[in-house]
Amino acid sequence: MDQEKSEICNIKVNGTNFEKVDNEMAKKDDSKEKKKLSKRTLKKEHQKELKKDLDLNDHKISTKELEEKYGTSIIQGLTSTRAAEVLARDGLNVLTPFKDTPKIIKFFKQMVGGFSSLLWAGAILCFIAYVIEFSKDNSVSMDNLYLGVVLIIVVILTGMFAYYQEAKSTNIIASFSKMIPRKALVIRDGEKREIPAEELVVGDIVEIKGGDQIPADIRILDSQGCKVDNSSLTGESEPQTRSCHFTHENPLETKNIGFYSTTCLEGTATGIVINTGDRTIIGRIASLASSVGQEKTPIAIEIEHFVHIVAGVAVSIGIVFFIIAICMKYRVLDAVVFLIGIILANVPEGLVAAVTVSLSLTAKRMAKKNCLVKNLEAVETLGSTSIICSDKTGTLTQNRMTVAHLWFDNQIYRADTSEDQKAQSFDQSSATWASLFNIVTLCNRAEFGAGQENVSIMKKIVIGDASETALLKFSGIITDDVIGKRKRNPKVAEIPFNSVNKFQLSIHETDDPNDKRFLLVMKGAPERILEKCSTIMINGQEQPLDESAREAFQTAYMELGGLGERVLGFCHLYLPEDEFPDTYSFDIETMNFPTSDLCFVGLISLIDPPRSTVPDAVIKCRSAGIKVIMVTGDHPITAKAIARSVGIISANSETVEDIAKRLKIPVEQVNKREAKAAVVSGMELKEMSPEQLDELLKNHSEIVFARTSPQQKLIIVEGCQRQDAIVAVTGDGVNDSPALKKANIGIAMGFAGSDAAKNAADMVLLDDNFSSIVTGIEEGRLIFDNMKKIIAFTLTKNIAELCPFLIFIIAGVPLPIGTIAILFIDLGTDVIPSIALAYEKAESDIMNRKPRHKKKDRLVNHQLALYSYLQIGILQSVGGFFAYFTVYAVQGFRPERLLYLRPFWEDNTFNDLEDSYGQEWTKYQRKYLEWTGYTAYFVAVMVQQIADVIIRKTRINSIFQQGLFRNKYIWVGIASQIIIAVILSCGLGSITALNFTTLRIQYWFVAVPYAIIIWLYDEFRKLLVRQYPGSWWDNNMYY
Amino acid sequence: MSKEEKKLNPEDNWRNFIYNPLTSEVLGRTAESWGEYGAGRRLGQTLSDETPKYQDLIASPGLSIIPKPMNALEIFVNISEKTSYEHYVTALGHFLKKYEDSMQEKNIECESGIFFEQKSRSKLACKFSLKILQVCSGLNDSSYGFDEGSPCVILKMNRIIGLKPEGNPSIQCHVKEERVNLVTFPDAGKIDLMYFPYYGKKAHKNYLQPLVALKVNFQPGSEEASIECKVEGSPNLKNQDERDKFLGRIAFKVTLAH
Repeated sequence: MDQEKSEICNIKVNGTNFEKVDNEMAKKDDSKEKKKLSKRTLKKEHQKELKKDLDLNDHKISTKELEEKYGTSIIQGLTSTRAAEVLARDGLNVLTPFKDTPKIIKFFKQMVGGFSSLLWAGAILCFIAYVIEFSKDNSVSMDNLYLGVVLIIVVILTGMFAYYQEAKSTNIIASFSKMIPRKALVIRDGEKREIPAEELVVGDIVEIKGGDQIPADIRILDSQGCKVDNSSLTGESEPQTRSCHFTHENPLETKNIGFYSTTCLEGTATGIVINTGDRTIIGRIASLASSVGQEKTPIAIEIEHFVHIVAGVAVSIGIVFFIIAICMKYRVLDAVVFLIGIILANVPEGLVAAVTVSLSLTAKRMAKKNCLVKNLEAVETLGSTSIICSDKTGTLTQNRMTVAHLWFDNQIYRADTSEDQKAQSFDQSSATWASLFNIVTLCNRAEFGAGQENVSIMKKIVIGDASETALLKFSGIITDDVIGKRKRNPKVAEIPFNSVNKFQLSIHETDDPNDKRFLLVMKGAPERILEKCSTIMINGQEQPLDESAREAFQTAYMELGGLGERVLGFCHLYLPEDEFPDTYSFDIETMNFPTSDLCFVGLISLIDPPRSTVPDAVIKCRSAGIKVIMVTGDHPITAKAIARSVGIISANSETVEDIAKRLKIPVEQVNKREAKAAVVSGMELKEMSPEQLDELLKNHSEIVFARTSPQQKLIIVEGCQRQDAIVAVTGDGVNDSPALKKANIGIAMGFAGSDAAKNAADMVLLDDNFSSIVTGIEEGRLIFDNMKKIIAFTLTKNIAELCPFLIFIIAGVPLPIGTIAILFIDLGTDVIPSIALAYEKAESDIMNRKPRHKKKDRLVNHQLALYSYLQIGILQSVGGFFAYFTVYAVQGFRPERLLYLRPFWEDNTFNDLEDSYGQEWTKYQRKYLEWTGYTAYFVAVMVQQIADVIIRKTRINSIFQQGLFRNKYIWVGIASQIIIAVILSCGLGSITALNFTTLRIQYWFVAVPYAIIIWLYDEFRKLLVRQYPGSWWDNNMYY
Repeated sequence: MSKEEKKLNPEDNWRNFIYNPLTSEVLGRTAESWGEYGAGRRLGQTLSDETPKYQDLIASPGLSIIPKPMNALEIFVNISEKTSYEHYVTALGHFLKKYEDSMQEKNIECESGIFFEQKSRSKLACKFSLKILQVCSGLNDSSYGFDEGSPCVILKMNRIIGLKPEGNPSIQCHVKEERVNLVTFPDAGKIDLMYFPYYGKKAHKNYLQPLVALKVNFQPGSEEASIECKVEGSPNLKNQDERDKFLGRIAFKVTLAH
């Protein structure tokens, strides 16, 4: 395979050469850039680490210098004493575990963040209230004490629940420690020994072989066909050769360094340890990741905003009524108690649990769709995503080379590149194809792994490199019997790929019994193959390779190359029987056979094809207003081709270069605004100032960043975040972890991803598939909508809980509802219905609207607050009071009698209080009536909350459009409301502390008309919102 | 609710019930009617003026005393300092004012020992003469015994509409201290059944509930009396309720100082 790899190598080398120049030029800029970085949120360590990256020069110096530097000998290794000294100095060769917040801190964080702090404040106020009341009168009711205790229990339980949810998802992610190899073969005191890898020190001489993990950063001293998989570092899974040659200025690019935690795939190598533990490249990147500050999640910001609203309402109403109470000549102590009560009635105790549960339900649903969420809040973050910076390899593409096009008989044929191809449908009748197929099958060293007879071809494991695998599978699809064909055409000689020849050649006996000639087959870089040919096969006939044939070749080669595909040329030659009889002994050293004047047969181009679901997903993103940016380490041409094929660059948009080419003018003259798309290479990006990058991100809707380095990914993310975008970043390598951390939502790949990336990410894509992100976004958007509904539902009854207090203060009536009953609404009847709202289906296609604007589309806007508080909330309070007055009236206290009755009503020594009918009541009899009032009010609120949960199913559509029965959980919720209320009223009515009494059956229905009014009113609201979009009504009544 | 609607429109078909274009009725009510409903007007319509719909929460009467001490149930009297008990005397006088003969002109003499049940719309009230309370009536001693250190306390059972005590109810008081004796008026704290049943504030305008007076006589040297009074002799008048300490009973303290 190797020829074409060399082809790519060439390009790479070119690229890196440029970079080298850049490096030098950029060094001056570097200091400037660093200053700018520090101005931003990046910490000092960040810069230091970046700098250290540049400092490494062990790959440049000679082995002699290395020996001196580390006080070692390449033959003898370190002495044990020296090794012990260095070990004492540098410490063990292990990575400091990922600086995770200690569990206990995490737990406490859960318990003080957001609502919890409000609840703590509430609990403390309760205790204060109790102490104040107790100091006044030690026979005071324990309500406030209970309430305080219950609030604390609520905080702790919800905190534990949220912690448990998070811990559960975090634990799935394997830790860093897994990456550390256990043993290392080292030369010390002149002899080989196996020691634990953590005892390695700089200067140690280690030997590695295929299958080993490299135990530290090593400078290669000697290598026999050593290839490493650097995917844990770079994310690119293409094996890379390691040799003792210094090939690149950049330590990450040079071939003579092997990195800690990468895997040696084949061959053997000896190296000298140059860095251990946290000083290794991977160690530095890991610590860089932990030093990058993470932004607050959007939902955390929204909830904070919401807490502010609730707290604002609570405190302002509290203070207003405190003043009113003082003016009404209540004692200051009483006024303080009222203030506390008002603030408490405003705290939505159950909301924390409801929000946590609905987020984790969504997280569960997303996990089923292959999005594993580590941080619950990330569920919603995904929904507000406005830019996705996606990797190419493995995420947008299938991460395997596949035959994409064929060129023979002067014609380009298209091959099927889908994931589950069964047959190739292009025209296979030509004799040229037969010859080409022969070469493809025979000139190939890849083999199927053993024991896979029943596995479909596409899923079989193949031993061999990516291109050869692609060709083997390709032939496997055309014929079932590749192996048989190879057996029937035994190989007699072979020259594997090498960088000098840039071709691969083999000589076979043929399976044609009448033809005793040997067949020489060859494949390689197209121009090298063409050089060796003098004829070309057209329709099975050999024809001289004239100018027109060359031109046709050139056109085809350019066209396929322009598609970003890796192109291979194929040729063959039947060796004349007289010169090469079957006894002829081929010698590959002396090349005693012709390698020129061959017959050119065709071209095959390979590509890592896009996943078949990706183009649809990209279209979905586009209609959802999400910008998809491709960030890849690949060559710009390949990147652009894939971007086009998946729709990241849409069919009709052009880059500046495209326009220049079309208009035949220099690139500089093109108006950059005209180009919708842009392909930017890492080199160009390096020269950009942050302002230029901002401009680029603003002006182009379709952007591809190619040949970027890990640090640049971070810069791109920061650039996007400066546009006020919520950025999702995918990544798999260790080098991606800083960007993953910095992104609003970091998405690591489940298969290809390194543990470091998974650690830094907020979410793990179990199938590595870009389209799973899109389903995730859909869920995230849905949960945002549903959370609005949950909050609207929850806030409504706050007013119904608050009004009793206000009327109690102003009109001096007996208290309509007690704090315990309020708690039973907040934490009892309302919990399941509010969670059930999380199951509500979307009202319209949520993927057809723009992502929400961070600052404009709030979770809780004033429309939501006003509609819930002042409209439905007030209606509910009226219903509650109606029930309250009814229950008092039927027992003898008519509403007018209740006014300003409070001082007598609550007087413990007043045991003959007269009602409206002249009857006299003892204190306890009144108390019991008061509890009946609580129960009636409680039931009335519960009944109206049933209507509330039904109306909250939709925000704009009619309930009938949404379907009353589609979300069956709503009915579970409603049933739970009724059952809890019945249990409280009937079963637990006898427990004094709960202050519930058994209510006559007819008083359960007092609030039903109000519930119906609430429902009709909301239908009317929705009707007008639908009918008059953009009207005053729409602007003020749609939340 | 639906029962109500059906009653209102028994012969209408369902469609007409939901909206009747002739009468502009929605769900069997006009807009006005719904408005009234919403405003709680219906409450007034269904409630009787004379008796409340339910009385289950006051099945048995409470017992209370006059004067009502300021806090806790402790009456403190300092004979040498008139201001210490003046307000008790005033309270008693104020309470007993409506029992004066001049206020009871419309009340009739009833037959003792049997319930005075009436069918007519406006009910008559039985006379309760202050004389029954004898020395505690205030007729002869306007200080109700406070001046000489043996104060009177009036006990009364709470009014409950329609309550008919079974047996022979009386209010019995006991004092813990041996050197204090209690005298009740009328004799043995008897409560006459003729004052029952009560027909409510509106129908039974001049109704006066029967009273029992208690005179607390301190023997020289004694200063404190812990008294407990209970309604006895009537099975349907409870006096043992665990939670309600004033249901058919009351405990209070009288302290005397010289």
